[in-house]
Amino acid sequence: MPTPSVPSDPILDRLASSDCEVKFKAIREVKNHIIGNRTKKLSYIKLGAVPAVAAALSDCDPNLIVQSAAALGSFACGVDAGVRAVLDAGAFPRLIGLLSAPDEKVVDAAARSLRMIYQSKLAPNYEFFQEKNMQFLLSLLKSENENLTGLGAGIVIHSCKTIEEQNMLCDAGVLEKLASLLHGSLSQRDASLESLAAIIRNNPAAVSKFVELHSGRALCSVTELAKDRYPRTRLLACLCLISVKNSSSCDLQDTEIKTELVYILLELLDDSGQVGDEAAFAFSSLIAEKEDLQKLAFEANAINKFNCLLRKCPVHPKRLEGIFLALADICSKLECCRSSFLSLQVLNLVVDALTHEDANVRTAACICLRSVSRSIKNLSAGRFMNERVVVPLVQLLSDLSTSVQVAALGAISNIVVDFMPHKSTFIQCGGIKELVQLTKSMDSSLRLNAVWALRNMVFLADKMCKEGIFVELTASSMASLINDPEPSIQEQALALVRNFVDGCVYSVEHAFAEDGIVLDAVGRQLQKSSKIEIGIQGLYVLSNIASGNEIHKEAVMQLLFPQDENGCCTFFEQFLKSNDSRIRTAAVWVVVNLTFPASPGAFSRIVNLRSFGIVYRIKKMVNDSCMDVKLRARLALGQIITFGDS
Amino acid sequence: MPVRVLDNTTPSQVSGANSGKSSFQSCSLLGVGQTPLTPKIRHIEHGVPGFRVAFSGTQNVSSVQKDEAWRVNVRIQGCDLEHGYLCGSMEALNVPMADTPVVTFWEGEIVDTKNYTFFTGKWEATKEDDIRHWSKFPSFSPLLGQVEADGGKSLDLSNYPYIFMRWKEQYFVNVGTDCGLTIAGFYYICFSCSDGSISGFYYDPNSSPYQKLELKSTNDGRSGFSFSSYELQ
Repeated sequence: MPTPSVPSDPILDRLASSDCEVKFKAIREVKNHIIGNRTKKLSYIKLGAVPAVAAALSDCDPNLIVQSAAALGSFACGVDAGVRAVLDAGAFPRLIGLLSAPDEKVVDAAARSLRMIYQSKLAPNYEFFQEKNMQFLLSLLKSENENLTGLGAGIVIHSCKTIEEQNMLCDAGVLEKLASLLHGSLSQRDASLESLAAIIRNNPAAVSKFVELHSGRALCSVTELAKDRYPRTRLLACLCLISVKNSSSCDLQDTEIKTELVYILLELLDDSGQVGDEAAFAFSSLIAEKEDLQKLAFEANAINKFNCLLRKCPVHPKRLEGIFLALADICSKLECCRSSFLSLQVLNLVVDALTHEDANVRTAACICLRSVSRSIKNLSAGRFMNERVVVPLVQLLSDLSTSVQVAALGAISNIVVDFMPHKSTFIQCGGIKELVQLTKSMDSSLRLNAVWALRNMVFLADKMCKEGIFVELTASSMASLINDPEPSIQEQALALVRNFVDGCVYSVEHAFAEDGIVLDAVGRQLQKSSKIEIGIQGLYVLSNIASGNEIHKEAVMQLLFPQDENGCCTFFEQFLKSNDSRIRTAAVWVVVNLTFPASPGAFSRIVNLRSFGIVYRIKKMVNDSCMDVKLRARLALGQIITFGDS
Repeated sequence: MPVRVLDNTTPSQVSGANSGKSSFQSCSLLGVGQTPLTPKIRHIEHGVPGFRVAFSGTQNVSSVQKDEAWRVNVRIQGCDLEHGYLCGSMEALNVPMADTPVVTFWEGEIVDTKNYTFFTGKWEATKEDDIRHWSKFPSFSPLLGQVEADGGKSLDLSNYPYIFMRWKEQYFVNVGTDCGLTIAGFYYICFSCSDGSISGFYYDPNSSPYQKLELKSTNDGRSGFSFSSYELQ
């Protein structure tokens, strides 16, 4: 096996030599060897060269210091192991100290080296809240030295993560300093744009400050730079403008600028390097959740563009991920986009990517599939419920990455809604077992999405399919899910039960299995229901059960009005009085089903309902402000009156 | 529901929905809004409500030669009130020339006066055709004057106990396009929010006029009403 060539001469001895000349030449030799050569860098790191090089930073000879700083910067450039070795050698504080050195060459070399380190995630976090640090940062940004301003910007890009940090930088006047760099050299412009984007991202207050900066001239400069001849500058300017557009209601909202951004980013996708990769992510953040922008993207033929890019082999994983996420966003709301996606056969490419070796690509492919499968028209046509799509998706349920599993569950949740009763394709590939297994996961997002998928699966399922799922899941697990600590899981679990007890009358029995453990859990959850959505689903479970036979209806009566209660205000009455019309509607449906006139026990139930004040309440609801509630209340009252209105 | 091919079908135009939020109230009998989207609360922001609501009845396909009615089942499959959109499937049971029930998928426009007005503006339906068909529904008569003036744009139907829609079949689910049937036309639909009944008239300039569709909500042999639901992510 070929191995990286380790230098044969005793380089470590020469690096540690007391002879300045020998040491200088050794460092220069190392530096020249490792420039742009990852393998050589790793090999010297392994050899222990970095501490020896770093030691020279403490020398008095400026030339030696400059060589040492340059070599360390090179070790740190683009290789995390190099950054780690430089930090471990204690070079970082020394380099910072050298920024105040009298010799400009030394300052320049130290700044350049630190810039390399700050490009890595491993660089230490810069603590802006320390006054002296902020002052130091400002001094860097206002410097005439390009490497110092670049370092300042690099620190902001690396360390500005939270809203507090963003606000602190705004208050300290960093925006002004960065804006002045927009007219500097190419590297200053790019560094400034990237730092500005970091400070204003998802922060409306920071955006407002930036927009007002120099009476709007800073924003104008950025808008101009979005048309710059350098692709990276254009991309960074777009990222700033996207942040402005996404967090402000009035700026950059006209269609012309939006369209321009769409076209600039689509054009940047043609860049074969990092800019092209990042353009897809920027495009995604531009159109996410924005129907108008998705429409503009559609009209700009974006789907076709992404399709063409995907068909150029091989596509870098980062780019694949970005393109799938961008496609997911385009297809998230508009049917015309999904339609175009499917007619261009992009689905095949997405399905192929489900088995990609990169977990981020697999996740993005699932997210894309989830978005496209929101098309009821195509779900109904069975477009997704086939082995080619379902088998790899089910395999992803046991993926080592939780993000992949969650994303796969999202896609499955949609795909199983095929409006067909048997779901055989999904069952045959072992999907049910996997889903049920994931409902028991320690990870709440996996539990939630697994229950959600089962809930959608049971929707419209036939008796056999329901039976298969029920046996695998068991009534006790279903009860546990209803009592899950997470409210969103409780809601989905109740919706699952609601679907289980729908359909033929026999289905209602599912709620009574294992001594009614499920029904008890539903009752308890309804009594303490803190979230509207939980109340709605719980009430529809009861309503569906109450549309069954006499035994079912009586069980609901017993749950709502236990015998030990004495006619005081019941929790059910609270639902009828709810401020939320959806809750009132669901509650009235329960009454409609309990008083269904053709059932033999209707009269005695009406007597009971009257004694608990429910009939009185229903009478008050016939003029409810919500039409749906009003109509259901009238239906219920009409049924009650057929037995006499005493 | 498909009808027999009488003439060459004409391709339908692209739907031209206006944007605008609907203030339309939901109706649980239509299944609409049982699990409405609350994006700020939900951790996943794209929930789309769905439901299981079924209707059954007949479509009168009588011609001069023969009285004939086909049994029809309809299932609502999805709804997006904000865009005035509804969709579902339609199953025709005793179609003479078909061995099995014929299932079609349809998409609907809800006349919410924001996304869609009473004027169809496509599918070969003139304003006169629209008025003539809508007028066959008794519940339309109070609206007639305003509809004649502006298609109903200025009407607030959010509390009206009837929902007017157009349903247009899009494709055959279980048979090929060579089955001798056509789905070229569309339905004018009136849905009663109080009892869940649906009346409709099929319109296709090449088919017998005023084929009447009459549907009632079904309950699977239950003593009451049952609703299941799904939610897309």
